[in-house]
Amino acid sequence: MRATFALVTTLLVGAAGAAGAQDPDAAALSLPGSAPQVAQSARAWQMFVEGAVGRAQIRNAAFSEETGATERVSIDLQVDATLAPGLRGILANRLDVDWLHRFQQRKEVNTLKEAYLSWQPRHDVILDFGRVNQYSGVANGYNPTDFLRDGALRSQVSLDPASIKKNRQGSVMLRGQALWDGASLTALYSPALSKAPNASAFNPDWGATNARDRALLIFSKRLSEDLNPQWLLYKDQGAAPQFGMNLTKLVNDATVAYVEWSGGRSPSLLAQALGQKGGEAFRNRVATGVTYTTSNKLSLNLEYQYNGTGLDKTQWDALSRVSLPAYVRYRQFAHTAQEMPTRHAVFFYATWQDLLISHLDLAAMMRRNSDDHSRVAWVELRYRWTRDEVALQWQGNSGSLLSDYGASPLRKAWQVSYRHFY
Amino acid sequence: MYSGPVSTLVSLLGKQLDMKKRQFITAVLSVVLGCSASAAVAKPSAQEILAASDAIRNPDHPFGLTTTLTEYRDGKQTDVSTLAVYSRADKESGQFRSLIRFIAPARDANKLMLKTGNDLWFYDPSNKASIRISPQQRLLGQAANGDVVTFNLAKDYRATLSGEEEVLDADRQKRNSYKLTLAATKPDVTYHHIEAWIDSANNRPVKARFYSESNRLLKTAYYRQYENQLGAERPTETLIIDGLDPKWVTVLRFTNWAARDVPEAWLQRDYLPRFKPE
Repeated sequence: MRATFALVTTLLVGAAGAAGAQDPDAAALSLPGSAPQVAQSARAWQMFVEGAVGRAQIRNAAFSEETGATERVSIDLQVDATLAPGLRGILANRLDVDWLHRFQQRKEVNTLKEAYLSWQPRHDVILDFGRVNQYSGVANGYNPTDFLRDGALRSQVSLDPASIKKNRQGSVMLRGQALWDGASLTALYSPALSKAPNASAFNPDWGATNARDRALLIFSKRLSEDLNPQWLLYKDQGAAPQFGMNLTKLVNDATVAYVEWSGGRSPSLLAQALGQKGGEAFRNRVATGVTYTTSNKLSLNLEYQYNGTGLDKTQWDALSRVSLPAYVRYRQFAHTAQEMPTRHAVFFYATWQDLLISHLDLAAMMRRNSDDHSRVAWVELRYRWTRDEVALQWQGNSGSLLSDYGASPLRKAWQVSYRHFY
Repeated sequence: MYSGPVSTLVSLLGKQLDMKKRQFITAVLSVVLGCSASAAVAKPSAQEILAASDAIRNPDHPFGLTTTLTEYRDGKQTDVSTLAVYSRADKESGQFRSLIRFIAPARDANKLMLKTGNDLWFYDPSNKASIRISPQQRLLGQAANGDVVTFNLAKDYRATLSGEEEVLDADRQKRNSYKLTLAATKPDVTYHHIEAWIDSANNRPVKARFYSESNRLLKTAYYRQYENQLGAERPTETLIIDGLDPKWVTVLRFTNWAARDVPEAWLQRDYLPRFKPE
């Protein structure tokens, strides 16, 4: 009896195994997803709320290091509504409320990122008016052709270059775009509206982004399936025109290479910071790099950055010794302009989607100033649910006291944040 | 390998015939039947079968649809995302060029992608950055599976008929199918070679297997839920099984089919930030 049962069992298991081997797709095809599903429709608005707590190690005025708690709540809203056929209204706003030292000091910063109307009277003509975040560039860490980035950064919540581009304010402008088969021409004029930036919490801060009259032309042409360069011509009130070009190339199935350049006659960044006249010369700014992606979703980006308007190693070393106030002013000016204070830097960025487990992402960044060898590093682990995310971030600056990153009062910080999408 | 009607007929003549006689009869019958077959109706070539199958999967005019991707791991649903897709065939290459807008999940809403063969641009409206990505750079995970759908295989692959065989379709019903072996004619395509089973009665795609150059199975696709859409019976669902991990399954459901005007001028990197499907 027992032998018969064993034989039957063996035969049944064998038969099932054989069937499974013959039809390995049966399990997949029996999944309950085959019933018709109602597709989700697009929504005009997107919003998330994010809360963060962390600790920061800060160098105080007495040059000793102290550790303090940080807390933040952010509300980010984006609206892209079709108001009438061919007419869109776009609004992007972010409010950051920061606390330091266990809720003792509170700071609110509202950033009106975008507020404009977009009218498309024909399929190949588009006109925009309002505050627009006009970004240009193909590099990841430094964008020489992103001419309108000066004064755009109002509230920096992360070192991640993607976060910096997301959380900046646009410029008020009138912009038009004409399209042809494989080509596009964009022209914009951004007028002077106010002379001084305004750090008040809910001020639209026109003075930060619209302190001068500016104009920009962007032309792109698809030369082949693989080449689609963009050429730019930028004019800032009272300054010589600046030229720009960016280009990408697919090296192979896994690698993209890029180069981004801008150049023109200009004074050095130091002369601009100190308001000095003269010393104009043709100066170049370049970012070039490659992004390689492995088959298991790890992307590695290495970028070389060059700023011909920045100080060379000798000048940079000498500046703080010659004049500390000039050094401080220069750093502030470069930070506001989102420019590199020195000539050479190297940037590394890595992302790893679905690291070890599904929905867990790793991102890491390192910038190294090649002139003074100072460094800043940032790492983030992020886990995603359908409408929620939790992230753990760490960042650290290193270098000598008056170096690019060593001078930052923030030495090390970590943060845990939770984001909910509505 | 291919066992045609001639060898079947010869085998029916019995085992009494010796080898030499069988070879002779086979040769004679081949000539006779071959001539009579070509005199009757010219059988479609493998490439024609493939092109007819492509035309069932994708309309021959610019169109839009909504794709819902549902991802399963170990039999459990792990992700759902929704994309609005506008496509048109390129005038010169015949290959599809697509503008894709992400509708869900919320974190990816309104992100955009432009796909022209291997030329891929990704745009995030929150940072306004258009990033060139490599075919391997899966910024949004499973969306990469969309590339086995809006895809004119006959433009990039040379088909040969490996035979006719009964194959189980997605509903585990037997289908008389042409088995085509597709070899890439371009070096830069994602799949080095493909096996495709196409219903011999109506040229409907039944299933396909996608391979790497090293003959590694990358994906298996089943085409199912045929419905009348844009003037033809088309598969409205594609099930994709990962080649390395068969427990990783993605179901793509296509809805909201509509003929759409997709101007050539929209299919470029500088229009990407402007694209908003109706």
